[in-house]
Parts: sequence; structure tokens; C-alpha cells
Amino acid sequence: MLVIGRKKGEAFLIGEDIEITVVKVEDGTVKLAIDAPRSISILRKELYKEIQEENKSAIISDLSILKNINK
Amino acid sequence: MELETTFHGTREFSEEDIIYFKKGIPGFENLKKFIVFDVEDNGVFSVLQSIEDKDIGIIVVSPFSWVKDYEFNLDKETEERLSINSSEEVLILNTVTLGSKLENVTINLRAPLIVNVKNKSGEQLILTEEKYEIKHPLFKEGV
Repeated sequence: MLVIGRKKGEAFLIGEDIEITVVKVEDGTVKLAIDAPRSISILRKELYKEIQEENKSAIISDLSILKNINK
Repeated sequence: MELETTFHGTREFSEEDIIYFKKGIPGFENLKKFIVFDVEDNGVFSVLQSIEDKDIGIIVVSPFSWVKDYEFNLDKETEERLSINSSEEVLILNTVTLGSKLENVTINLRAPLIVNVKNKSGEQLILTEEKYEIKHPLFKEGV
């Protein structure tokens, strides 16, 4: 893993077409500006984790439970 | 072909029934091949069953009859990745999580599964806008 230090206003590049700039640093929060092709999906990691958990909890092992659930 | 699932008996399927999720789905990134079968005596729910891990079957449902006005923008990049040319090729399914009570049954509207029924490729989209919840009650006003 690469760890780099950046100051406000400084940027770094990932590959040729992703640029990340530190816009603001305040009270333990960093605001970043990400310039990337639209094909790159950018998600907050917590959201991805929540979807992972939700998919796991959608596993069913007994379909008979569904008998009473109907529209 | 036959698939002996762990929890849902033996399921018949043919090669062209297999939906290929190139990236897997979140939580099951290593699983790429799934089939969908309808739950018997129900007519509402289906199961997205992995053919690589016989334990994994996820409840899914078509969202539109449950959630009025459910809509999201299918971005160009996803359309391209799944080679979607027309809306008739698109099947939308959302995962459902059961609870002990009916009020606790939820549908994940934030991350719809997009399937191109023509070439059988699929992907779970995570919507960036916060309009829809991960745990949206399926039965809003009780039943």
C-alpha cells in the first residue's frame, strides 16, 4: 500500500486519467475532488459494505416462509 | 442440466438460463453464474441461485408492482458493459430481506440488479443518489 502526504490544493494521479485533489482539510475531515472517467465507479466504502451485508441477509434457506407473504 | 441446491431442491436449467455477473455481486464477488427460478405457490418472489455455490440463493422480486414510481437512470456505462440496446432487453430485480414480522420485510431499492435478458449478463447497480433506501419496507401500510 502506498501512503502519501498531500496538502490542501495538492493533487495526485492514479493511472493516466484519475486525478484527486485535496480541496479542504478541516476538523478531521478531508474534502477531495475526484476527476475520473464516468466508467469508473466511485462509492463511499460504507455504502458498498451495506450492500454486501444486505445481499447476504437476502439469502433464503427455507422457501416455505414465503407462503404467507403475498401481495 | 440439473443443479442440486442445498436448500431449494433440484433445479432444472439449461445453458441459456445462466446469467453471468462478470463482477459477481457485492458480498459474493467470487460468484459469477446464477439462475433465477420462481418460488412455487407464490407468484411474487423469485430466487437468484448461484450455480457455483449451492448454498447461495437470494430472494428477489420485480420492484415495479410493489413500489409505485420506482425509477432510476441507467447510466450509459452500465448499458455498454451489459450491451443493452433497448429497454425490452432489461430485467430489473431487487433483493428482499425477510424479518420476523411482515412489517420488517424490506426491499433494497438502492442496489437494483440489472439483467440483459438477451445476452444474459447482469450487474448489481449501486445508485449514487440517495433517493432510495437499502431497507425499504415492502409492506408500507401493513397488509
